[in-house]
Amino acid sequence: MATIHEVMSDTPTRDEDQLLPDGEPIEQPSADTPARGYTDEQKYRIFNKEFMPHIDSMYNFAFRLTTDEDDANDLVQDTYLKAFRFISSFEQGTNAKAWLFRILKNSFINDYRKKSKEPAKVDYQDVETTYNSEDAESEHTVDLRAESVSDLIGDEVATALNSLPVDFRTVIILCDIEGFTYEEMAKILDIPIGTVRSRLHRARNLLKEKLRDYASSMGYKEENEE
Amino acid sequence: MQTSLSSSSSSDTKPEMKEHCDHRADCLKMIQLILDGEATEQQLAGVKANLESCKPCIEMYHLEQEVKELLTKRIEKRCCPEQLVATIKSRILTFS
Ligand SMILES: [Zn+2]
Repeated sequence: MATIHEVMSDTPTRDEDQLLPDGEPIEQPSADTPARGYTDEQKYRIFNKEFMPHIDSMYNFAFRLTTDEDDANDLVQDTYLKAFRFISSFEQGTNAKAWLFRILKNSFINDYRKKSKEPAKVDYQDVETTYNSEDAESEHTVDLRAESVSDLIGDEVATALNSLPVDFRTVIILCDIEGFTYEEMAKILDIPIGTVRSRLHRARNLLKEKLRDYASSMGYKEENEE
Repeated sequence: MQTSLSSSSSSDTKPEMKEHCDHRADCLKMIQLILDGEATEQQLAGVKANLESCKPCIEMYHLEQEVKELLTKRIEKRCCPEQLVATIKSRILTFS
């Protein structure tokens, strides 16, 4: 019998390695990203020109993760202040959006997830029964027709999304709502691309099950009208 | 790298449709790669013919496409409150 830890074994766990002594996430040091000696003027310019344009996407991501406006506010503010503090590890003109999303995701895991009510909301049983073996995962397809869900409204889709465990919710937000590539997602989440792909696949199966439940509870029938 | 399943020319005679798919799970993974724009040319070429003649796969394709559209177009996008933008801008001015 798989435990929840095994089931969730592709959950990011490497974040501890990336903490400074004071607990701040930073970019992993690598040969091609040496710390940069920006002047104050350059820092403000990068911040305003490269970071601030993503603030709506960042807020939306924070809100979808926390499902709470106050938490989203705090998370976005913390993230932007961290981004400014660690701006020397950002290379001007590179992928600012992915860089910011990665900081936000790490802040969420390190600072918010622990104190959130997330565990109570997560339907572990559901994850466990559906995905307690590799076979079940790879052979699993959800029996559902496009017509059955096409009348769902935004709130219903959002509720279905919110009901997914946060790791699954995250990949769907990054891919389908924010349009990141698998490669960008791998960097944001610190996981291999293969894990991005399989987690996305599992997340979508779960989402479709939730949507199917919604659609049938709303009285949409699996009718073949043509 | 979007592809359309309905793009096959209408003057052609329709290929014989398969009612059953023996590789649903694998086909689904490929369909997601295609819709995410992550399939390589080679992968696309390898599955395109099958995707156009396999009824269950066409249905899965439409479902995946529909779910993606629900997520992109129907969920409300929250914008950052003006107050928060102002707070962040003033907070960083006190850094140095
Ligand atoms: Zn097929």
